[in-house]
Amino acid sequence: MRSWDPRIEEMPKEDLRKMQYKLLKSLVYRLYSFSPFYHERMREQNVHPDDIKELSDVNRLPFMFKRDLRDNYPDKIFTSTQEELVRYHVSSGTTGKPTVVGYTQNDLDSWTTSLARALTSLGLGRGDVIQVSYGYGLFTGGLGLHYGAERIGATVLPTSVGNTERQIELMQDLGATAIACTPSYLLHIGEVAEKMGVDIKKDTKLRTGVLGAEPWTDRMRTRIEDWLGIKAYDIYGTSELSGPMFTECTEQKGFHIWSDLALVEIIDPGTGESLESGEKGELTITMLQKEALPMIRYRIGDITMMDDDVCACGRTHPRIQRIQGRVDDMLIIRGINVFPSQVEYALMGIPEVGQHFQIVVERKGALDDMLVRVELSKGSFSDKITDIMKVRQKVEHRLRNSLNVNVNVELVEPGSLPRFEGKAKRVIDKRSL
Amino acid sequence: MFWDKKAETLKPDELRELQLKRLKKTLIQVQNVDFYRKLLSGAGVKVSSVKTLDDIRKIPFTKKQDLRNGYPFGFFAVPLKKIVRIHTTSGTTGKPTVVGYTRKDLDAWSDLIARNMTMVGVGENDVFQNMVNYGMFTGGLGFHYGAEKIGMTVIPSATGNTKRQIEMIKDFGVTTIHCTPSYAMHLSEIAEEMNMSLESLRTGIFGAEPWSESVRQTLEKRLGVTAYDSYGLSELFGPGVAFECPERDGLHIWHDCFYVEIIDPKTGERVSDGERGELVVTPLVKEAMPLLRYRTGDITFLIEDGCLCRRGQKIARITGRSDDMLVIRGINVFPSQIEHVLLKIPEVGNQFMVYIDRINHLDEMTVEVEINREFFSGELADLARLQKKVVKELHDALELRTTVKLVEPGSLPRFEGKAKRVIDRREAV
Repeated sequence: MRSWDPRIEEMPKEDLRKMQYKLLKSLVYRLYSFSPFYHERMREQNVHPDDIKELSDVNRLPFMFKRDLRDNYPDKIFTSTQEELVRYHVSSGTTGKPTVVGYTQNDLDSWTTSLARALTSLGLGRGDVIQVSYGYGLFTGGLGLHYGAERIGATVLPTSVGNTERQIELMQDLGATAIACTPSYLLHIGEVAEKMGVDIKKDTKLRTGVLGAEPWTDRMRTRIEDWLGIKAYDIYGTSELSGPMFTECTEQKGFHIWSDLALVEIIDPGTGESLESGEKGELTITMLQKEALPMIRYRIGDITMMDDDVCACGRTHPRIQRIQGRVDDMLIIRGINVFPSQVEYALMGIPEVGQHFQIVVERKGALDDMLVRVELSKGSFSDKITDIMKVRQKVEHRLRNSLNVNVNVELVEPGSLPRFEGKAKRVIDKRSL
Repeated sequence: MFWDKKAETLKPDELRELQLKRLKKTLIQVQNVDFYRKLLSGAGVKVSSVKTLDDIRKIPFTKKQDLRNGYPFGFFAVPLKKIVRIHTTSGTTGKPTVVGYTRKDLDAWSDLIARNMTMVGVGENDVFQNMVNYGMFTGGLGFHYGAEKIGMTVIPSATGNTKRQIEMIKDFGVTTIHCTPSYAMHLSEIAEEMNMSLESLRTGIFGAEPWSESVRQTLEKRLGVTAYDSYGLSELFGPGVAFECPERDGLHIWHDCFYVEIIDPKTGERVSDGERGELVVTPLVKEAMPLLRYRTGDITFLIEDGCLCRRGQKIARITGRSDDMLVIRGINVFPSQIEHVLLKIPEVGNQFMVYIDRINHLDEMTVEVEINREFFSGELADLARLQKKVVKELHDALELRTTVKLVEPGSLPRFEGKAKRVIDRREAV
């Protein structure tokens, strides 16, 4: 597979690290001198830019958290002037004040470059028609993918979200070869297409899905790929890093994190200690070239592990495994940690089960009670109580085995659970209400 | 202030020379489009037979219906590989009109917006909140790219959530906004309700629907802005075709990029300067989708007097349409689209009426339609379901929320002559 920028993407690891060290060093000097926020943080941590003598000294620097952005609303951490700023994105956030991200022209360029490399690594380019069905506007998904797809010379179809029937018509009529959206929206598109009598496999040219903004599992991937006849790739990022930035390559073995843009660490979320390649922990990212809103050791809250071996695709940049869940999404059920993605993974291994589920957690008396509502797949919907009972027992059994916690299961009719155009909301935690 | 002083202030003879050169290039470019090869040979027009700009009159007009017949790619003059963007706009019935752009087109388009924005004195120190739809609608991405080009700080807020829009204006010190004039009215009222003064605002760019001088005065007073009118349509890139300068007495149309004619919509003959008629435009720099003598349907006239700013001849603000197109909340709606949607639903009859009102400064469309007893049971639950279905079908086709009222068969007016199914009850804005 051709690279967008082979000189950078296939650079020997040793040279990459040297480049990272140089970039880190100048970043730290710049922020120590010009950012009151980082200056103070470094002083508190008792670290001076001169202390950064090699790349691994990054772990002497202070962490940054999402709450730091909220506490400094809207732009107190920004290190650019109004003339230099060319864009704001705002993420609503689930709690409290929104998070504001500012961009200089260079920031937009790096973001777009990152996606140009990523989309090229999926085999997309000139001649492709890319339907961008992420929301446009303040959300970074739409404009991010839009700029990336435009950079590689593809034809961009900026459909944004909503009006699903029109989306399917345009996909067919204008010959879209790729779609970028959330995996839940693609599931919805697939179902609506079936209702319209459109077989995405046969009646459209769609062959690539770039799916992200929420965690999804390999088993969901298999289902989507088989059902719609496409290759489904995961895309990763968050507005604090600029937006969606990194994808898997055609090997589908984790996200390539471009070393010239981002320095990745995996840490133990409890102690903050750095972990080795292959150990699971919390992703921490230092953005090496970001100007308007610099990010040092930003704790995104996603759980993953690093793989620093050279990829079969020839790219030397380290990969992180697909996200298994967010620290924030983790449910603690009777003391046991449960990620919604584990539930998805277990369910998608059961052929009688459809694509949609919902998790409801309540406190009954002193005990947590977890209910999983599961849609049956169309073929296995039956009127016979005994059949239903059998499937229910099977699902309960599988979930208990993989989660180590007792789960109540309720089987529901295909099509009865809510569908989503943007990020899915599959967990209802009534304990926190 | 000029973005491209040379292009914006060409002397009349230089301009004519450039227009003729670009017209000839366009005539060569359209040879890649079947429709135009046939149209030109049918009219006996060869590239070599166009010797002066006046010879353009030998070429027949292109109408929106022609574009629709070319769905989806019939009007593309370059291979799909060279197309980097597609927008669609609502057609008169059913399928949308597709417009395509090469990279050069996108650049030319954002350059026009850059000219407009620079003309009204905004630039890299300004914070710009773009409160129109992004996505397939050209208003959002069009202004977004132009504002980015001149180095403004862009907040791509899109539409909706008016309170949050107001909070952002305050929190980010927004100086410049872009939206429809009716949304600006709505915004100013909500701001008053919230007791928020929007002191940072200085410039308001309003377009996508016609608006009057009295609305201008109201908006300027309530929002504390200088208000500018913006004109464009997707077939001619999108917004940016014409724009007011600080004189605010007519709109500068970019003559180096658009050849302008004003015609009598009935006879197709040109009217003289200062006389009202339909705007017909031949874009001179479009690559992906060149058009010849495109009938915009918009009624205006060429202003005879030159402008103090030296940017060439202006057109008057748009005062109406030569066809029955309605502009509702900035969205173009043809009555034929509504009919097309309703006729697809067997449970409703062929008789319908459309009422358009302005409630709290926002346009509201109400559709009354008769039930078809042959296909409809009369159960109450079915009635609610049918009503929802009609609302959804209309929304999918028009991208517009409407109120639907189902009525008894035979209760709507019948027409003996030309039906008048659309009653626009809005007062002139």
